[in-house]
Amino acid sequence: MNWANMLLALIGFSGGVAVGSGFVAFITVLDIIPRLVQLTRSHRHLRKMEWALVGGVVFFTLLDFYGWQIFLPRWCASLYGLLAGVFVGMLAAGLTEALNVFPILAKRLQMDEKLLYLLMAMVLGKIAGSLLQWMLPL
Amino acid sequence: MKHPLFLRLRKRLSVQPDSVITLGDICQVYWDGEREEMVRRIPIHRVDPKDGNLLILDIMQVIAKVRTALPETELEITGAPQIIVEVRRPRREPNRLLVGIVWLILFIGSGLAIMNFHTDVSMPEVHQRIYFLLTGAHEKHPLWLQIPYSIGIGLGMLLFFNHLFKKKLNEEPSPLDVELFLYQQNLDEYYIQHENKENQRIKS
Repeated sequence: MNWANMLLALIGFSGGVAVGSGFVAFITVLDIIPRLVQLTRSHRHLRKMEWALVGGVVFFTLLDFYGWQIFLPRWCASLYGLLAGVFVGMLAAGLTEALNVFPILAKRLQMDEKLLYLLMAMVLGKIAGSLLQWMLPL
Repeated sequence: MKHPLFLRLRKRLSVQPDSVITLGDICQVYWDGEREEMVRRIPIHRVDPKDGNLLILDIMQVIAKVRTALPETELEITGAPQIIVEVRRPRREPNRLLVGIVWLILFIGSGLAIMNFHTDVSMPEVHQRIYFLLTGAHEKHPLWLQIPYSIGIGLGMLLFFNHLFKKKLNEEPSPLDVELFLYQQNLDEYYIQHENKENQRIKS
């Protein structure tokens, strides 16, 4: 029996539990899954959505750690990028909402009617910032 | 048989400056089906410039006024114990320049924030890694992945706030609507606590 390996396994497992529960807690606070379920009216499939999240985390962890390569055509990377971007966008939007940025802006500056413009400013800003970051170093 | 006068205080009222608030403005009234009109016209409060733009009318004030006018009537009261009265000032159009400045701040700030986030989580390295794992090719700038990714961020935000489709996907309010509502509700509760003189007493 190798005690050092046992200990390593225990440490790894504990770290995994901490990170996994933290991830779920974070996603929950931002209400992303309820939002998606509400938009697609798929309340019956809520469990499946949760499993998608868990499955994604586990799958991509394995993909990364074991360096599995899948040799897909380039457009698959594009599709992946688009979907990943949508997810990050929802993270950003959820965070903005959790921090009450818009209600306070609207109330303080009396811009209730212009709220859509302000939202578009943030959306376009994110796209522009992201594109700049990737394309400028070329 | 007795006919109690039923009063149900509304939640909010919006009035012009210098108007007189009557019982009918702040309450739903039911008596015996005939005499309500008279009761509705009982004046409760005259809006004064020194009231500011928010005042709270407490149910006890209302009871006092109704009792003075109708000493014999039995009162039956339901609903909230106070009402928030908002005095409408002539509303200014939001300044275009100000809106523009705020727009620019949000635009630049959110762009900076996303770049900070990407650097913070080593997004370029992750993108290179994912690109390598998916296609088997090393690429320092996997733009085929990153440009759709960038567009996706915008799409995701719009999706979250449900503004992608002008026509609502369903009847439910967007999180932004709910957020505005909750914020207003919190403000109202604050006003009720702090502006209602009946809620605070210091006994000396």
